[in-house]
Amino acid sequence: MTIGLIVLGLILVGFFGLRAVVSFIRIQQTGLQPGVTDVEAIRGWMTIPYIATAYGVPEEYLFERLGIPAEDNRDKSLGQLNREYAFGQPAAILNAVKEAIRQYQREQPPATQVLP
Amino acid sequence: MSDLGLTDFFLTGLITYGPPMLGLALLLGGLGLPLPGTLFLLATGAFIRQGVMDWAATLGLGLFGVILGDSASYAMGRFAGDRVQRRFNRSTAWQTAQETFARRGGTAIYLTRFLLTPLAIPTNLIAGGSRYAFWRFLSYDVAGEVTWIAVYGGLGYLVGSQWELIGQFVSDFSGLLVGLVALGAGVYLLVRRQRQLPLRPRDRKPAAE
Repeated sequence: MTIGLIVLGLILVGFFGLRAVVSFIRIQQTGLQPGVTDVEAIRGWMTIPYIATAYGVPEEYLFERLGIPAEDNRDKSLGQLNREYAFGQPAAILNAVKEAIRQYQREQPPATQVLP
Repeated sequence: MSDLGLTDFFLTGLITYGPPMLGLALLLGGLGLPLPGTLFLLATGAFIRQGVMDWAATLGLGLFGVILGDSASYAMGRFAGDRVQRRFNRSTAWQTAQETFARRGGTAIYLTRFLLTPLAIPTNLIAGGSRYAFWRFLSYDVAGEVTWIAVYGGLGYLVGSQWELIGQFVSDFSGLLVGLVALGAGVYLLVRRQRQLPLRPRDRKPAAE
């Protein structure tokens, strides 16, 4: 049991230690900027109302650009919407949302600061 | 992109239903379901900053959920412990383990709430199984969980939209700490065993003439 504990400890320290160093370097390279809302950070678990709030884009605009009704879809994640409305490839709806936000920001530069 | 994972399911729930979903996630985590509670707290802090969630209700329901979950896993340990107790009650090792936990269990309970989180469920089960007093367990549990929520919720609030970036580091660092604890415990046991070994005849000093 003693040797087992030491071996397990060494494996965990090696594995997680390496991963922690890599994560730390990534944080340093990226730099933590709480106010930055990069569209690349949009994920499949997000909902349209959340994205609208976080990126300062009207919900109606996003639903309209995606071509889907807002009714009954406000609580659904992008992943669910992707399946139900058959956008195609898994990343298709993500790309559509990112493009819609970029388009909105080009058309109407934010008058107010987006949420951090 | 996958929305089938439990983590994604709960993250969608957090931004849609708010504090009750956090309470549920932390309750299930306390019962032993492998959910990334620390990651949810980081996300929650960021959502509070974005105005998506209310901080007071989040804090209240989150704390309620996790303490309920911890108490339930303590109860499971106590229930299972009765059977173990009947079988090993006369064992010296079992009695030593019980006495050790009674003396130092508080520190273990407190630290496993926020620093060595992967060891939280085993600690709850051991606390229940070794008949550690429930009110003492609850005191250390509440103190530890308040620290956990304040530290990681606060960190999420500070880093805002970049909580995912820090989440990976926190998860890896937690694994590293558990590894260090296992390594430290192993080395401690090895050293203790070496000291307890009887001296071989050639190592003995000759008797004084």
